[in-house]
Amino acid sequence: MGENIPPADVPVVPRAGTVYGVLAEYDGVAPLLEAAAKVRDGGYTYWDTYTPIPIHGLDEAMGIRKTRLPWVVFGAGVSGALLALLMQWWMNAFNYSYVVSGKPLLNLPPYIPIIFEVTILLSAITAFLGMLLLNKLPQLYHSWFASRAFARRVTTDRFFIGIEARDPKFDIAEVRALLGSTRASQVETVVEPAAPAMPEQVRKYGLPVAVLLLAVALVPPLLIAKARLTPRNSPRVQVIADMDQQPKFLPQQANPLFLDDRAMRPLVAGTVAVHHANLDKFLYQGIAEGQWATGFPMPVTTTLVARGQARFNIYCTACHGWDGAGNGPAAVQGAARSPESWVMPTSLLDGVVRERPNGHIFNTISNGIRTMPAYGDQIPVADRWAILGYVRALQLSQAAPKALVPAERQAELR
Amino acid sequence: MAEVADIRRDNVWLGGAGRAVAIVAGAVGAVGLGIGGAIAWAQPDQRAHFFASYLTNYCYFLSLGLGGLFLVLLEHLARAGWSVVVRRLAEGIASTLPVLCLLFLPVLWGMGYLYPWVNPRGDLAEHLQHLLEWKRPYLNTGFFGVRAGIYLVVWLAISYYYLALSSRQDRTGEPRLTLRLEGLAPVAIILFGLTLTFASFDWMMSRDPFWYSTIFGVYYFAGCVVGGFALVTVVAVLLQRGGRLVSAISPDHYQDLGKYTFGFIVFWAYIAFSQYLLIWYGNIPEETQWYVRRSHGPWGGVSVLLLLGHFVLPFVAIISRWPKRRPALLGAVCVWILGVHWFDVYWLVMPEYSATAVPLSWLDVVLFVGMGGVCTARALLWLGRRPLIPIRDPRLEESLAFENA
Repeated sequence: MGENIPPADVPVVPRAGTVYGVLAEYDGVAPLLEAAAKVRDGGYTYWDTYTPIPIHGLDEAMGIRKTRLPWVVFGAGVSGALLALLMQWWMNAFNYSYVVSGKPLLNLPPYIPIIFEVTILLSAITAFLGMLLLNKLPQLYHSWFASRAFARRVTTDRFFIGIEARDPKFDIAEVRALLGSTRASQVETVVEPAAPAMPEQVRKYGLPVAVLLLAVALVPPLLIAKARLTPRNSPRVQVIADMDQQPKFLPQQANPLFLDDRAMRPLVAGTVAVHHANLDKFLYQGIAEGQWATGFPMPVTTTLVARGQARFNIYCTACHGWDGAGNGPAAVQGAARSPESWVMPTSLLDGVVRERPNGHIFNTISNGIRTMPAYGDQIPVADRWAILGYVRALQLSQAAPKALVPAERQAELR
Repeated sequence: MAEVADIRRDNVWLGGAGRAVAIVAGAVGAVGLGIGGAIAWAQPDQRAHFFASYLTNYCYFLSLGLGGLFLVLLEHLARAGWSVVVRRLAEGIASTLPVLCLLFLPVLWGMGYLYPWVNPRGDLAEHLQHLLEWKRPYLNTGFFGVRAGIYLVVWLAISYYYLALSSRQDRTGEPRLTLRLEGLAPVAIILFGLTLTFASFDWMMSRDPFWYSTIFGVYYFAGCVVGGFALVTVVAVLLQRGGRLVSAISPDHYQDLGKYTFGFIVFWAYIAFSQYLLIWYGNIPEETQWYVRRSHGPWGGVSVLLLLGHFVLPFVAIISRWPKRRPALLGAVCVWILGVHWFDVYWLVMPEYSATAVPLSWLDVVLFVGMGGVCTARALLWLGRRPLIPIRDPRLEESLAFENA
């Protein structure tokens, strides 16, 4: 290998045959650290150390200034936190405001885990990508690979210092002398290898052939798209036929096996689900002798009404309010948020509800009415009657004459 | 540069100054405990306050002792090399556990004042009485005492074994002892975790027997570890100021102590928030009552102090590398953490005594000085009889050469 003196203006991408730089090889960490300190003191810019393992103290020996990556990561973390806050405010409090469990719409505690996660996510991604970017990675080829010693041992058991020719202070004799004065086992001048020449055929036909192959590769997806998008009379080609055509009947299909041609079979008359006969119309439907029942199917006791109060406070107060006047917290919130469309719940103290027979109100609790959903699936039947008992008690107490209040508590009345 | 610190010229002995401080601290501590006890004896109406304050300070110093023991176990469990130079200091902190066992006895004496389940009030609502009846097989004085005995014996046994073998290695230099301690560490740390968790349930959580939180033990554990690392840091700074271990403990060691302190500050906040979020979201009265007591009135102020002082401030103060490598600065932050950690324990224990006011009083000061003095004396006397670093630990060289990249 000849040692060319590089011209004054070294191109960033060196031409083949020019000197890329000088490489020194070391057997151990200690000589490498000494040499790195020497090169650092020599004032070189375009140089680096190459080691198979991370080495403590190398940063100081090389005089590398501290990375600014932590600040970039910090910025990313702060943006992540703000982004998560903005996102949740937009989704929960602004664009689709929806009251959950009576909590306020803009509501910090449940936001915190998501803020935390997004902060970590953006920080971690930034730290990883920023590390790659600042290290100019990934780099698939490096001119030092031209050195056989470097290529074979830099990732196993040797340590290298390379000073590149593009360094403004680079002078091949000086650099070789400097590295030679360290405890290097070998100093080598690396010449930029000549790039292998492109074969004539590739240069001539490469591009047309590539375009042609690409065009051919586009044909199958285009055919598939056409087959899927154009209507036709003949059946489609079925690749996996037994998935597309399963031997079964879907709802509403015909089945000639039965006289009525229906694939869905009706229940045999009189069928009831196990334990769900519910034959007692009074108890289960509130109907007595074809009319809405007026009494209760069980004795009305203070225990029953107290049970009803507890259930009422759990299920009904959200809308109907604690006193049944129809001003529960959910109703008030809803009316405040969408006054034009919100339907306020009925006051249970109104004359209409007062005069409704027991069976009718029981039916309303069970099956719902207007915007009120059905509670039959959530509240056991005895509890629904208990709630009715408490509603009657409310109707009585909210319009009770003063004389009914015990004498010793009359003073508390306002 | 990778150079092993030369500790041959380091002073690794506490010496006469340590003994003098120990005697003063012990005397002051005994006087403090004596005054507190005398007041409780003479003034029956002060006893409920006395025992609540006693339990606060007991759980505080216990958290430091257990934190020290945890550091020792952690090093052996992970076969950590870096922390060998500060392990003796953690052992010194853990050496207070026998004293803390004795200091537990007054808690047994004051059970009636501390735990409502001992003599339930007659006017409790029916469902609360039912709840206490339901918990009776666990929450009764006999079983409480037996459990406390188990916890204390486990801690005594673990600390005795780890401290005694470590001291023996100073004399014999057997590497085998390190292997033995490492081999036992997994068992010891599991026992440690279980006893600490149940002790915190018994001694602090059952102050409100109607409330429960399964993460409570982890919360107290987080406080223990924060306290342990902060105290080791402060002790190391003080010893170096006093001319001990000057070259043995380097900024790299401080940086790691700082990292752990920082990490467990965040862990503490994470656990505290986990407990809070679930209870807040569930919004069930039997769970929220504990937080309602702590978030309204003056206790709300203490909660904010904890959020800012126990999390935000230390987080900002030691997140970066720079303060962690400056012993004076890191030590100051750790002193702050130790102070605010006391308020953390106070916040756990006290609101069940006084829900409407923060009853800070001279009793807290007297008992803090009393217990702190006695524990300091014990730790200094223990450290005074052996070198301040495990001089013949096989990983000492590694620890001395330790560097943070």
